[in-house]
Amino acid sequence: MNLYKAEIHRFARRRLSLIFGICGFAGLLLFSAVLAFNSQTGPTEAERAEAREMADNLNADYDRCAEDEEFFEDPEHVWVSEEPHFDDMTHEEICAELFPAQAQEEDFLYVYTFHFENEGTGIISGIAVLVGLLAMLLASSVVGAEWSSGGMANLLVWHPARMRVWGAKLAAGLTVCAAAVVAVVALAFVLLYLVAALRGETGTLDAAWWQDALGRLTRSLALAMGMTVLGSSLAMLGRHTAIAGGVIAGYLVVGDLLVRLAGFALNVKFPNRFSLYTWVDAWISGRVTLRDWSGRFEETMTLTATDAGLLLGGIVLVFTALATWSFARRDAS
Amino acid sequence: MAPVIEISGLRKTYRKLMRQPHHALDGLDLEVRPGEVHGFLGPNGSGKTTTLRALLGLIGTDGGSMRILGEEVPRRLPQVVGRVGAVVESPQFFKHFSGRLTLRILAESAGIPATRVDEVLEQVGLRDQARQTVKSYSLGMRQRLAVAQSLLKRPELLVLDEPANGLDPAGIHHMRALLQWLAHEQGVTVLVSSHLLSEVQQLCDSMTIVSRGRRIVDGKVADILAGHSGSQMSVRFADPAEVSEAVEVLMEAGDNLTVTAERDRLLVSGASDPAWITKTLADRSLYLTELVTETKNLESVFLELTGTAPQAGRAVQVGQSAPAADPEMTVPTGADR
Repeated sequence: MNLYKAEIHRFARRRLSLIFGICGFAGLLLFSAVLAFNSQTGPTEAERAEAREMADNLNADYDRCAEDEEFFEDPEHVWVSEEPHFDDMTHEEICAELFPAQAQEEDFLYVYTFHFENEGTGIISGIAVLVGLLAMLLASSVVGAEWSSGGMANLLVWHPARMRVWGAKLAAGLTVCAAAVVAVVALAFVLLYLVAALRGETGTLDAAWWQDALGRLTRSLALAMGMTVLGSSLAMLGRHTAIAGGVIAGYLVVGDLLVRLAGFALNVKFPNRFSLYTWVDAWISGRVTLRDWSGRFEETMTLTATDAGLLLGGIVLVFTALATWSFARRDAS
Repeated sequence: MAPVIEISGLRKTYRKLMRQPHHALDGLDLEVRPGEVHGFLGPNGSGKTTTLRALLGLIGTDGGSMRILGEEVPRRLPQVVGRVGAVVESPQFFKHFSGRLTLRILAESAGIPATRVDEVLEQVGLRDQARQTVKSYSLGMRQRLAVAQSLLKRPELLVLDEPANGLDPAGIHHMRALLQWLAHEQGVTVLVSSHLLSEVQQLCDSMTIVSRGRRIVDGKVADILAGHSGSQMSVRFADPAEVSEAVEVLMEAGDNLTVTAERDRLLVSGASDPAWITKTLADRSLYLTELVTETKNLESVFLELTGTAPQAGRAVQVGQSAPAADPEMTVPTGADR
């Protein structure tokens, strides 16, 4: 217990924790502010009048074009007859392409309204995954820096029971990650709800909504914790933060793309199933349906949260087992 | 009393793909008695740090046995580690933590009260720098911090790898006084590995010298020096050209003598009476201008025992031993004296 508490303090007092904390908090405030700025509860009368006028003008242009067979002989529009694109089109089809018929007021209303009931859970679970990514980097940094600085050997001189040390480090990482995710999710919920209440629509948060939201957020928390364990394990295996960070960034940026491209190149059905992002989406959303049109008919493949949980959990388990074996067996230098 | 540290036949071999295996420890023995400061000496690559790492469970071994405070290690190390303070190879700490925070986290991890942190900072002379980040510490200050962390547990056994590394003369003096106080006043057994031979000579009660992963000699420092001291005499002439002739004269006249010619002097070992040298040379019309008896210090004993004495035009490689003197320069005598 003492070692666990000491590891929590080591996490909390690291400069990177402070930087991530400040950046995360500032980023959340900034995101909420931008969302509040962009969202409006509805268009004003002036905006509606302006949109109506634009739609009316466009419809009038179309009518003039459709009714006048010599419309394109006008010097202003003569360029149309020189354009090969329009060669096989009728006069009306050209008019419809240049001046979309039946334009409506809504087509010219560029107002975004943030709808908490529809969008809130998705945004908050995305934020939770981002916190998990930061927790993964922080956990790998704590373990990696300890190895590269020689601090790990010093710690083992104090605590030679290596499995106890590893367990304390994982437990501390998971605690810090869980606390950070819960705190950020709670703060994000409050901020986004305020934005919706003041500048958008809150919608109806009934029992079904809460059930769905809690399910998604719990799975997001589990994913964040799994990422933290993965980060620690990679750093334990590589014995350096840069190795863990390199593996993570390399996969997320290049590896996943390469795997997906290979799937396409080999003409494999459902190539997106080889992307970890797809499985992460299935885990958080609860279900993802992939579609394939390579055959004569459309085929679908459904990935459930259970499938995704087994795969992602298996990956974390394999790396954790390797890291545990490595820590138990290898010399500490 | 039973030894505090007992190491017997310790072996450690490093194996790498496509390379010859390296035997870092080749049946090493070590014994440290309670309440003494024990020096652990050896040339670079002789296995000192490997031994300490093995003793503290940081690396595995390929054979032999080790006991600390009567407990077999590494199997029983978790049970005994609370009574052992150790510093191996100048440990680095998180550089953005202060000295005090570094010690507090370690103390907390072992259930040691925070008040002990300030006590050890005071003991090692870091009280006024306790709030500074480790990044701003000099090498010597980091060394003091490392020693401070080893004292946190009020250990019965202190294992220190090069504790004087980076310390200024005042720091070395302070460290020596602290370790001797711990050993002789507080009953703490101290094992110190060091390259600073004069420091070991002043600090340690007993010592073990190792080379190529094996013990060469151990015992009280004074006994080892006495056993290998056999004083030597330095002889100079007005004309340095007479040195080579003097070598031949002494070689013919004496038995069991070692005569080494240097640029402008002779070094004679094995002659108990300076008057014999004076007379022997004078009989052949060789008149010396200086004859000085030189007593061997720990450094010369160390170089002789480990075979790492520097030789003219040749460097002794790390991990290798060589004859103590150049055969061309050393002349063993064959005739009776």
